[in-house]
Amino acid sequence: MEQKEQTKTTAVKGTDMARKVRGLVKNIYRSAHEAKAQGKKVAYMMVSSQYDEIIRAMDVVPIPTENYAGLCAAKREMDRFLLKAEADGYSQVLCSYARIGLGFDSLRKELGGIPEGAPDGGMPTPDMMLGSSAVCDPRYKWFQAAGRYLDVPTYSIDVVWPPVDADLKAVRDHYIQYQKEQFQGLISFMEQQTGKKLNKERLWETIRLSDEAWRLWYEIDRMRVAIPSPMPAQDHFSVMVAGYYYPGMQEAVDFYQSLYDEVKYKVENKIGVIPDEKYRILYGGGLPPWHTLWIFNYFESFGAVFAIERQYRAYDPVEVPSSVKDPVEFLAWRSFLRATQFYEKARANSGNPTVERLLGMIDRYAIDGVVFHACRSCRATTIGQVHYKNILGRYTDIPMMQLVSDMVDLRDYSEAQWKAQIGAFIETLAGRSAR
Amino acid sequence: MPFAGIDIGSTMTKAIIVDHEERILASVIGPTGAEHRHLALKVIDEALQKASLAMEGLDFIVATGYGRISVPFADKQITEITCHARGIRALLPTVRIIIDIGGQDSKGIKLDNEGKVANFVMNDKCAAGTGRFLEVIAETLGLKLDRLGKISLTAEAYVQISNTCTVFAEHEVTSRLAEGASIPEIVAGLHEAIAGRVINMVRHLGMEKDVVVTGGGAMNIGLVRAIENKVGFPVLIPPEPLLTGALGAALAGHDFVRRGVTPDHGRRRERVTFFQ
Ligand code: SF4
Repeated sequence: MEQKEQTKTTAVKGTDMARKVRGLVKNIYRSAHEAKAQGKKVAYMMVSSQYDEIIRAMDVVPIPTENYAGLCAAKREMDRFLLKAEADGYSQVLCSYARIGLGFDSLRKELGGIPEGAPDGGMPTPDMMLGSSAVCDPRYKWFQAAGRYLDVPTYSIDVVWPPVDADLKAVRDHYIQYQKEQFQGLISFMEQQTGKKLNKERLWETIRLSDEAWRLWYEIDRMRVAIPSPMPAQDHFSVMVAGYYYPGMQEAVDFYQSLYDEVKYKVENKIGVIPDEKYRILYGGGLPPWHTLWIFNYFESFGAVFAIERQYRAYDPVEVPSSVKDPVEFLAWRSFLRATQFYEKARANSGNPTVERLLGMIDRYAIDGVVFHACRSCRATTIGQVHYKNILGRYTDIPMMQLVSDMVDLRDYSEAQWKAQIGAFIETLAGRSAR
Repeated sequence: MPFAGIDIGSTMTKAIIVDHEERILASVIGPTGAEHRHLALKVIDEALQKASLAMEGLDFIVATGYGRISVPFADKQITEITCHARGIRALLPTVRIIIDIGGQDSKGIKLDNEGKVANFVMNDKCAAGTGRFLEVIAETLGLKLDRLGKISLTAEAYVQISNTCTVFAEHEVTSRLAEGASIPEIVAGLHEAIAGRVINMVRHLGMEKDVVVTGGGAMNIGLVRAIENKVGFPVLIPPEPLLTGALGAALAGHDFVRRGVTPDHGRRRERVTFFQ
C-alpha cells in the first residue's frame, strides 16, 4: 500500500518578508557546509545562550541544532531521526529536538555521511559543540550525549539569572562577575580550538549589529498593536530566524529594516492579515507546532488572527551602563538586565514576570483570547502554562485554551481533538462578543 | 415552530425535537457502536415520527458532537461544548461547572453567570478518563458496563490502579486479581482513577458550585460518588444525562431563529458518511 502524502504543513504567511525567510534558513546550513569545505571551523550551538556574538566574532560558523529539528518537522522529515534516537535508547519523553539531533548524528555516523534526503543538505560534522544552561537542561546535556557519535570537544557554559524575589542590587555584581567568567572560559576554549585570539573590536562590532537588529525587531512588534493586525504570529515564527540565528550579522539588520518598512506600510494603509478580523489572539507560550503550522490559518478561517506571541520573544532591548568598556563584560551585563527586566513590575503586581508580560500584551494588543501550546517533550516552555493561566484568570476573564501536542513529534498530535477545541474556543469568543 | 438537535458522539447518536416553548416533543437515543453511527438519519426520522412531524416541518436543525461536520441534513453545526452549556442552562441554571464524561473523551466547561461558556478543557487523545476505559476493563473482568457502578458501591475499600493508560491498566487489573483483590475493590479503584484524572483536568477551570455531571459517566453511580469525593460536595445529575448536548443543539437552533440567522446550506436527506 502506498503512503498517503500529507500535502500541507506550513502556514500561509501575512508578510512578504516572512516568505523570504526560507532563504535565510537554507543559508544557515549551506554556509556551514561551505565553511567546512574551506577549512573554517563550525560549531553546534544553542540559540539564546547569550554567546552568539562571541561565536561570530571568532569567525566560527554556528549550526543551531534545535532549529534543524524544527526544520525537519516543518518538512515532515523527522521520523527516521526520532526513531533512530529511540532505537539507541533515548526515551520518548526526552526533548524531541534533542532526539532528532541525536538521531541525525547517530545515522550520519552509521552511514558514514549525511543521510540521504536530509532537509537542506543536513548538518555537517561540527568541529566543536557549544552547549549552555540557558532555558533548559537538555541544552546543556545534549552535546555531551552527542559525544557518543562525534569525537569533537564540547564546551557548555552556565547562563544564570536570579530568582524573582532576589534583592537585585545585592546580587547583581556577583551574577555579572560569574557570567563574565563563564564567557571568558568559552573564549579561552574557542581560542584553543581555532588557534586565534578574540579580537575585541570585532566583538564590539557584532554586539552593535545584533543590538541594532533586535531594536528594529522590537519596533516592528510595537507596530503590531495596530488593528487590523499587520503581521501574524506565524510570521513571527519565521522572521525570528534573523534575530536568533543571525545575531551579529548585517543580514539580520537589513532583514528587519525591510520588514519594518513593510509592516509600517501595512499599518498606515490598514492592510490586515485577513480581510475580516473578528478576534485577536495571543499565542501565550510553548514552542510552535512546527509539524502543523497551517493551524494558524485554520484559526484565521474563523476570523481569528494571532496578533502577538510570547514565544521566541525572550527580551526587550536593555540599556547597559555606558561605563562598561569591555565587550565581554557588556555581554554579562546585558544578559543580567535581559533576564531581570520584568522583575520589578512582577513584584509590584502578580509576582510572576511571565504573567506580567502576558498581561501587558493582552492590554496593548487588544487581545480577545489566549492560546497556549503544551509541548509534551519541551518541559522548559510547557511547565508553568497552567499556572500562568490560573494567575492570569485573576486579572482578566478572556477565554484561554491549551492545545497539547509536541513541537515536532507528530505522534503527540491529534487533528480531530484540535479542531474540536478550536471550534469550541471560537464559539466561546463569539458568545462573548455577542453580549 | 419545532427545532431539532442531533448529537453524534463517538458511541451514540442522540436526537431531540423541541417546540417554540422549548418543551421536548421527542427524544431518541440511537444505537451504540461504531458500526451504527451512519444511522443518524434513522435516528432523526424516528424522533420525527414520535413527534408526528416531517423534516421539512422543522424550523432549524443543529448538529453537534464529533460527527457534526458530516450531517448532510443539518442547518448548522456547533461544537458540543457550546451545546452542553446551552442544554444545562435550560435544565439547571445554577450550574457553573459541567463535567461531561463521554465514550471517547471527557471535558470540563465553566459557565459564567449568564450560563454562557467562559472557559473549557478537553482531555487529550488518550482513552483514560473516558467511558472507553471502563468499557475495556469491564470486558477484561467479564462484566456488563452498566453494572459497574452498583458493583463498586459494595466495596469497602478500593485498590489503587496507578496506570491511567488503558492498555497498561488492563494488565494491572489482571495482576491485582491474581493478588487476590475482589472485583468490587478493583472496579472502585478504576472509578477512583478516572475521577482523579477528570477532576485534575477540570480543576484548571477553578471548581465552583453547582457542578453537574453529564454523558455516559453520569449514569455510573460509582463514578459519580468518586467524583463527589474528590470535589468535596454533591454534584447534580440531569434527568437524561446523555441528552444534554442534543437538547442544547435544539435550543441553539431556536436561538438562531430568534436572532434571524439563516441556515448555512440546503438540507440533504442523506446518510452520514463521515465514520465509514
Ligand atoms: S527541552 Fe525545549 S527548550 Fe530545551 S532543548 Fe528541548 S526544545 Fe529546546
